[in-house]
Amino acid sequence: METTTPFEFKQYVSVLKAAGQRAGNLRELREVIAVVSDDSLFHHTYQYFLKDHVLEYTNDFAYWAGESLEERVLAEQLSNIDPYIFNHIDELRRALLSVIDTYLEGFPEPRQALSGEEFYFNETVSFIFPAGIRVKNLAEFLIAMRYIDPSAIYYHFYEARVRLGVDDLSAWVETSLGRKQLAERIRSIDPFMHSVEGIREHIVEAVEDKVRRDMEVL
Amino acid sequence: MLLDHYSGIAPTGDLLLLRRLGELLQGKTFLHVNSTRSGGGVAETLQRMLPLIRDLGINARWEVIEGDMFFFDTTKKMHNALQGNREYISEEMWGHHFGVNRINAGKINLEADAVLIHDPQPVPLVEFRRGGCWFWRCHIDVSNPVREVSDRIMRYSKKYDAAIFSVSKFAQALGIDELIIPPSIDPLSDKNRKLTDTEISEALERLGVPADRPMILQVSRFDRFKDPIGVIQAYRMVKKYNNCILVLAGSPATDDPEGAAVLGEVTAYAADDPDIHILLLPPFSDKYINALQRAATVILQKSLKEGFGLTVSEAMWKGKPVIGGATGGIPLQIVHGVTGFLVHSVEGAAFRTRQFLNNPDMTKRMGEKGREYIRKNFLITRQVRDYLSIWYRGENGGKGVVEL
Repeated sequence: METTTPFEFKQYVSVLKAAGQRAGNLRELREVIAVVSDDSLFHHTYQYFLKDHVLEYTNDFAYWAGESLEERVLAEQLSNIDPYIFNHIDELRRALLSVIDTYLEGFPEPRQALSGEEFYFNETVSFIFPAGIRVKNLAEFLIAMRYIDPSAIYYHFYEARVRLGVDDLSAWVETSLGRKQLAERIRSIDPFMHSVEGIREHIVEAVEDKVRRDMEVL
Repeated sequence: MLLDHYSGIAPTGDLLLLRRLGELLQGKTFLHVNSTRSGGGVAETLQRMLPLIRDLGINARWEVIEGDMFFFDTTKKMHNALQGNREYISEEMWGHHFGVNRINAGKINLEADAVLIHDPQPVPLVEFRRGGCWFWRCHIDVSNPVREVSDRIMRYSKKYDAAIFSVSKFAQALGIDELIIPPSIDPLSDKNRKLTDTEISEALERLGVPADRPMILQVSRFDRFKDPIGVIQAYRMVKKYNNCILVLAGSPATDDPEGAAVLGEVTAYAADDPDIHILLLPPFSDKYINALQRAATVILQKSLKEGFGLTVSEAMWKGKPVIGGATGGIPLQIVHGVTGFLVHSVEGAAFRTRQFLNNPDMTKRMGEKGREYIRKNFLITRQVRDYLSIWYRGENGGKGVVEL
C-alpha cells in the first residue's frame, strides 16, 4: 500500500467577466495596468497558459502590443516577464509598468490601436468541480495524468502555485507517496516555458520513468 | 438522457459539470423571455437549449412577449441604434416600450429562481421582478451605440443582477457584473449534424451545384457588411490560377429591406459567369446549408462588420478552415494561422484561398484543428454550462471562485 491519502482531481472552467476598463494606446494601457484589479492582471498573465494555442507571446499585453500596436520590441519585452518568479501580483504589476515606462522613454510614441482593436480588461469567474477521478498510487496517477482534462492540469499545476506556492501534484507525490525525488523533478518543470499539454508530457515522462524503475527487478 | 447524445461529441468536462449543476439546481425554475418564437439566432438556440436544460431536472420555461406593430417598429429602431445606426426614438415610443412590457408582465408568470431576459425588447420586465436571479442577455453588438438610446436601455439593465454580452468589447460600464458568454452551435441540429455522402450529393443536385471542381463558399445574408462583392472579386483573382466554382448562399431576411437591392447588385456583378452560383435559399434550409458547407473546399466569411458570425463556427465544425474578416466575433473563432486565416482585404482573401486550394494537407490539418477548437469552445453544451454556472454563482454570493 503506497498511500493512505488519495488524490482527488478537480477540473476548472471559467466565465469571463468584464473589468470595465479598456485602453486604446500604450499610455492608456499603462494607466489601467497601474490600477486594475489583481484578478484582471492574473487573468491576462497567468491564465494565458490556458489558451489552446500559445504562439509567440506569453501574456495578453504582449499579444496586444505585438498584434494591435505592432510594437515588436515591446511585445518581446513583455513576453519575457515570467509571472511565476513573483511572490505577489503587485510585483508583477510593477514589472509590467517598468517595461512599458522604459519603452515609452526610449521609443517614438506608439500609434493608437485601430477602432475595435482596443485592449479590453477582463477577469474570470472560476468554477472548480470534482473530475470524478481519485488515485491512490503512482501507477494510477500516471494513467490519470495521461487522460485527465487539460483544465485539471491547469488547476493543479499552475493555479495551485499561485494559491499555495507549490503545485498540488508534486506536493501529493511528496507528502502522500513519500517520493521526494520525483516531486522535485515535477517541481523543476518550468511553468513559463510550456503549454498545459507540454506540462502533461513532462509529468508523464517523469512518472513513467519512476514507475518503470520501480518495476525493474534486475 | 438527451445529454447522453452529446457524449463523445462535447468535451467530457462540460458534460460532467452540467450533470453536477443539474444536481445542484434540481427542481428549480429557469425562465427565458424573448420576443419571437421562431426566426433569428436567439429563438433557434432557445429551441435547442430548453430541452437540454429540462433534461437536467431543471424546470425551464420559455415565454415570448407580445406587442403591436408600433412596439416592434420601435424595438427595431432600438436594435439599429444600439448597433450604431442613427435613429430617433420619441418619448411616446419609450413610453409604449414600457407599457407593452407592463401588459406582458401581467400575463407572464415571472416567478422563477433564475430569469434570463434576451435583448432590448423585453428589458423593462425587470421593473416587475419578483425574486430570483435576473440576467439581461444582450446578443447585439453594442460596442459603438447611439449613446442616448443605449443610456435609456442601460437604465433598465442596471437593475439586473448581471448583464451578459457575447464579446468583451460589447460590455458597458453598468456598475453590475458584466459576464462574457459567446453564442454556440448545436452539433446535433440539422444545420450541423453529420450527413451521409448521399445526402450531400442529393442536396447539391437539388441546388444545381456541380461537384466536379473545388468549391469556394460563403453563407450569409445578402448584406453589404458581409462583402459579397469582395468575395466575387477574390474568387476572380483565384480563378486565374485554379479552376473552381463560387457559391454564395443566403436566405432572404424579411426584416432587411436592403436585402433585395444587395442581391440585385451581386447578381449583376457576377454577370454571366456560369461558375458563380448565387443561391437564395428559403427559410429552414438548414440541411442544404449543412451539405454546402460539407461539400466546400474553402469557406469564406469575408465580413466587414459582424456581430458574432456563428457561420464561422458552423463551417469549422465541419472540418473546414475558414478565411474570415478580422471583425466582430470572427477573431474569437479563427486562431490566425492555426484554425484558419484572418484577412483584411480582397487580396488577402484571394491569397489565402489559393493557399488552401493548393495545399490540401494544410487545409485538412487546419480544418481538423478548427473542428477541435469549436468542440472545446463553441458548442451548445458550453453555453448551457455557462448559464447554469453563473446562475449557481448568483445564488451563492457572486464570488470570483466557486467550488461545486
